[in-house]
Amino acid sequence: MYILQAENVTKRYSEHTALDNVSIQVPKGSVYGLLGPNGAGKSTMIRVINRITIPDSGRILFDGKPITDEDIYKIGYLPEERGLYKKMKVGEQAIFFARLKGLSRKEAIVRLREWFIRFDLQDWWNRAVEDLSKGMAQKVQFISTVLHEPKLLIFDEPFSGFDPINANLLKQEILRLRDNGATVIFSTHNMSSVEEICDHITLINKSHNILSGSVGELRHRFGENIFMVTYQGEEELLKQSVGSLAEVLDCRKQEDTPYTVARISLKDGVAVRDAIAKCNAELDMRSFQEVQPSMNEIFIRAVEGTL
Amino acid sequence: MNKIGIIIAREFNERVRKKTFIITTILTPILMLGLMAAPTLMMLFAKGDSKTLLVVDESQIIAPQLKGNDELEFRLSDLSLEQARTDESVFGVLWIGKDVVDNPSNAKLYTNSSSSMTLEENISSQIEAVIESERLKRYDIADLEQILKDVEVNVMLTTFRNDVSSVEGEAEEATSSVVSYLLGLVLGLMLYMFLIMYGSMVMTSVIEEKGSRIIDVLVSSATPFQLMMGKILGVASVAVTQIAIWGVLICGVSSILMPALMPDDMAQTISAVQSGAMTTTEADIDADMLSALNFASDTGSLVMMFVWLLLFLVGGFLFYSAMFAAIGSAVDSVQDSSQLQTPIMIPIILALIISMSVSNDPNSGLVFWGSIIPFTSPIVMMTRIPFDIPTWEIILSLVLLYISVVAMAWLAGKIYRVGIFMHGKKPSLKELISWIKQ
Repeated sequence: MYILQAENVTKRYSEHTALDNVSIQVPKGSVYGLLGPNGAGKSTMIRVINRITIPDSGRILFDGKPITDEDIYKIGYLPEERGLYKKMKVGEQAIFFARLKGLSRKEAIVRLREWFIRFDLQDWWNRAVEDLSKGMAQKVQFISTVLHEPKLLIFDEPFSGFDPINANLLKQEILRLRDNGATVIFSTHNMSSVEEICDHITLINKSHNILSGSVGELRHRFGENIFMVTYQGEEELLKQSVGSLAEVLDCRKQEDTPYTVARISLKDGVAVRDAIAKCNAELDMRSFQEVQPSMNEIFIRAVEGTL
Repeated sequence: MNKIGIIIAREFNERVRKKTFIITTILTPILMLGLMAAPTLMMLFAKGDSKTLLVVDESQIIAPQLKGNDELEFRLSDLSLEQARTDESVFGVLWIGKDVVDNPSNAKLYTNSSSSMTLEENISSQIEAVIESERLKRYDIADLEQILKDVEVNVMLTTFRNDVSSVEGEAEEATSSVVSYLLGLVLGLMLYMFLIMYGSMVMTSVIEEKGSRIIDVLVSSATPFQLMMGKILGVASVAVTQIAIWGVLICGVSSILMPALMPDDMAQTISAVQSGAMTTTEADIDADMLSALNFASDTGSLVMMFVWLLLFLVGGFLFYSAMFAAIGSAVDSVQDSSQLQTPIMIPIILALIISMSVSNDPNSGLVFWGSIIPFTSPIVMMTRIPFDIPTWEIILSLVLLYISVVAMAWLAGKIYRVGIFMHGKKPSLKELISWIKQ
């Protein structure tokens, strides 16, 4: 069941094409990563979903129906360029945005109290936004985006400008929002965040959707039959045992232990169980596991076109 | 509460709480009072040091009749002009030629430092008076002084309006063009000031929201039209608040303080004149003065004036600020907006020029149409209202104005809806119009 679908979206500007026939499907209750290098078209995609940018062709479906302004007013949107009224007080401002999203002042205050404590902002309630650091202002804007507990949340580059501690806090909050039933779409070029929190991704490069799928499925699909073997003994020992079935890529002795860690690449047509049986029979083996490519590797290889 | 209401509340609260709003609201009336009192204050404080002039009078006629005052002392001198001019302890030397009565330009003033216009005016008018009376004496008229006293007059014209019907039995009320003119001018200027000040406030604030991308968040919560109307109405409510505060202050001051401030005998004279027991000539007060005092102490007509002012202010503001908002939405910075503002500024300035001619004839064709057509009507009508024009003209003007407000808001909304998402290139007027058609 998809909460949001983009079908064949194309957007051209006078000098370049920002999106060329891009389709995505966002499953309900997932954390969906929109990945891609700078200038790939991620923000345009998000602005098309929000109806800020009108696409030249293609359409957006929300819950299976063409998206309306009313749907937009229900979702939570965090734009890439953060916008808050500089002179306005933090608390008043958060209440203002919450009321525009339909919360009562009373309800907004109750929920904001909770969020401000969680984000350690409670002392800043009566300060002007211009007094906040960039990171704090981003936290305030993040809270304003999620406060009305929308079914769909869209964050454009939510981690930019956060230190690792706060980025981590943000990741935890995103996962918590998903666990509470929300669907989260976010764009990023920061791959380290993807594996930890994304369920699904779409990789956009040069205005095209070049890769889509669930994270586990992609990593499996692009696995290359590489395994890591940990055993007791020298490198030669390994070569003698599985040399006929696999190629030894690298070999490294673990310091202060009797163990050696090696990466082997199985030759074509060799069954994994045969390789394990061979190692098990001839080596004092401690572990044998598959090495899956990191999303970062997939990302780089996909962008470079070497998948 | 609907979304426009929430936006209005934000605009209002943010602006009214600002220090600048509180300060201007309090200071402007004080400043106005100060400006009115300025001439008197200047006379009090601008008194220079007293100056001494040596008078070398070869005609022997003028000098004895020159009268000094606090600032200027005439000292007769027997010295020759050259000797007198070497005296640097005095302000200067006034030299009067022998034949000054027949040749009035034969008088010269030598000063050791810069002289002033009032000083020169004072001296020449005194010399003129002496010469005039000297020349009159030549005709050998008996009882000359008595005759001169007799012919001196000062006409004070009291004007009454036949078409402005006064209630039967009540004394007819004298009107004065001067007071109407001044009042109208003040009201017109005030409206002009408000339209430009608050209009550009709307524009700047639209540009700020667009530039800081707050607008991206806002449009994911409300329609562009709601955002625009909320902003305009929010700023309008601030303007109304300011005017209302001033209105209450002025009405309050005039109803409480005016009678208290006025000297008792003056109040008695005025009420005597008003009841017809005394003519203005007998009372020796100016009809203009009387009418001004009448107006200032007549709380009812003051309140009515403020009601009209508020109605035209709100209508004019909504009309113009919709245009200001449309332009603000189309540009990225205030600097870029100046060119697009021209079509707004031209009618506003035109209105001011037309309203200047109201005093010549408050019912001329130009003025009449200027006060009916919405582009100029708020300012021109406001200058006309003190001239007691028929009420149907005011109502017609208001109705047309408010209809145009709706039309203008609709047009501006169309531009705004496209403009807020346009970044980069500064659009031309032509492009703005093409957005309306989108």
